[in-house]
Amino acid sequence: MAPQEPVAIESIDRLCTLANLPLPAERRARLVPMLSGLVAAANELSRKMAHAGYRAIVPIVRFPER
Amino acid sequence: MARTDLLNLTISEAAALLERGALSPVELTETVLQRIAVVDKTLNAYITVCGEQAREVARAAEKMIRAGYHLGPLHGIPIAIKDNIYTRGVRTTAGSKILSDFIPAEDATVTTRLKRAGAVIVGKTNMHEFAWGGTTDNPHYGTCRNPWNPERFPAGSSGGSGAAVAARTCLGALGTDTGGSIRLPSSVNGIVGIRPTIGRVSNHNVVPLAWTMDTVSPMARTVEDCVLMFGIIAGYDPLDDHSAQVPVPHYLGDLARAVRGLRVGVIRDYSLAHVQRAVGDAVRAALETLESLGVEVEEIAMPSIQGNISAQLTIESCEPSTFHQEWLRTRAADYGEDVRTLLELGEMYLATHYLQAQRYRSVLRKEFLEGFTRVDAFVTPTLPFTATPCGATKVVIENNQEEDMLSAIMQFTGVPSLAGLPALSVPVGFDAEGLPVGMQVIGRPFDEGTLFRLGHAYQGATDWHTRAPGL
Repeated sequence: MAPQEPVAIESIDRLCTLANLPLPAERRARLVPMLSGLVAAANELSRKMAHAGYRAIVPIVRFPER
Repeated sequence: MARTDLLNLTISEAAALLERGALSPVELTETVLQRIAVVDKTLNAYITVCGEQAREVARAAEKMIRAGYHLGPLHGIPIAIKDNIYTRGVRTTAGSKILSDFIPAEDATVTTRLKRAGAVIVGKTNMHEFAWGGTTDNPHYGTCRNPWNPERFPAGSSGGSGAAVAARTCLGALGTDTGGSIRLPSSVNGIVGIRPTIGRVSNHNVVPLAWTMDTVSPMARTVEDCVLMFGIIAGYDPLDDHSAQVPVPHYLGDLARAVRGLRVGVIRDYSLAHVQRAVGDAVRAALETLESLGVEVEEIAMPSIQGNISAQLTIESCEPSTFHQEWLRTRAADYGEDVRTLLELGEMYLATHYLQAQRYRSVLRKEFLEGFTRVDAFVTPTLPFTATPCGATKVVIENNQEEDMLSAIMQFTGVPSLAGLPALSVPVGFDAEGLPVGMQVIGRPFDEGTLFRLGHAYQGATDWHTRAPGL
């Protein structure tokens, strides 16, 4: 997989539109470096979880497990 | 008894004196309130002090005890409660401007249980806004400070509870812990804190941070005091959907059981890696102390542990942003800058990121459960560093390399949170600047008892917990 591209301001614009989140332009710009780091880490975790050995793994969204 | 001596009493010691009438709840409460009046100007550990109510409850407790009605070890004991836990009739702000006028009509279940046990609620403690952060640098109620050095942070989000217990402005406190918010301030303030198994203690009427990781629990100066509080608040609550119908053992009775033969795991390339030297030295020395008590220490590999910080950041971003979705659109300016930014970021993740993080939790949990076939508990430092200056957003752990505080602070405490495991933080020493170091002990689901036994045995062999900040 190609290395993670930094998140572009246009991507944040689109996400704000999708989420109906009216952020001023300066706040959107401030999110770029932080989101780039977080998304890169989240994508790396997603790649790890795509490993064949994990195919049977289901998310736990409720503790304690029942 | 001199005031200083009263303030240094543990819950256990005070309870024994109160039960036999050698100490009055009124005297003890008044001493604590006066201590708050003196030192909290510096520490800012309290958002609300319930002076008059506390005095009234203490007078009632005294009457009951005199009449022969002793409710147990918390009867007449001054306790503080983190300000995201509902207290009927007392403002509960969650450290926020948004809830600055919120006066609950009901108690949280944990508050009810403490009140029924006769505890005297002396106040509501300062916290990181909405518990979303680890510094307790609160923009609405002021920066909370560390009693060991007021220029340093008390960690968080239960920083007020940690500072209040360490500063002797209460005998014990309740905190909440999602990714480390009880254990982090316990560590940097030199006290004991337990994160319970999710479902062991009710979250009913507690302002949530991240629903799948939130817990409530005690913070105190000794493991025994934590046990006294935990025994009162633990147990099934029909008002909490996540509450577990798992019997609560008699922790206090088990506390003195020998730890000889218990096995403790150190996670290879993780438990003692990437920590400040003083932290590593203190935890290694603590492991040697446990070994001297007959505990066997074994190194165990846990390959899935890398990835925990990303998973925690993803879940702890998405879930709070879901809870705060409406306020972020209607009252954004009422959040502090750091929390507002984190809530905005939480709206930017994909659903697949969130679900992969939750799948990662399954992997991590399975690996821990497999590890628990070989050992009874795992040990790590609670934090890789000691208390940083107030207001710092970066921290140096090693090699003069600055790291982002939010990620660095989660290095060890996020793991049991993700895996749904209980974890105890116990003080194991001080660095060269006199700042406390904590050790985290992680246990099997619903096996808080083994953590208490290990921590109690360790405190029986050491005296770190008897030291007081010179405030």
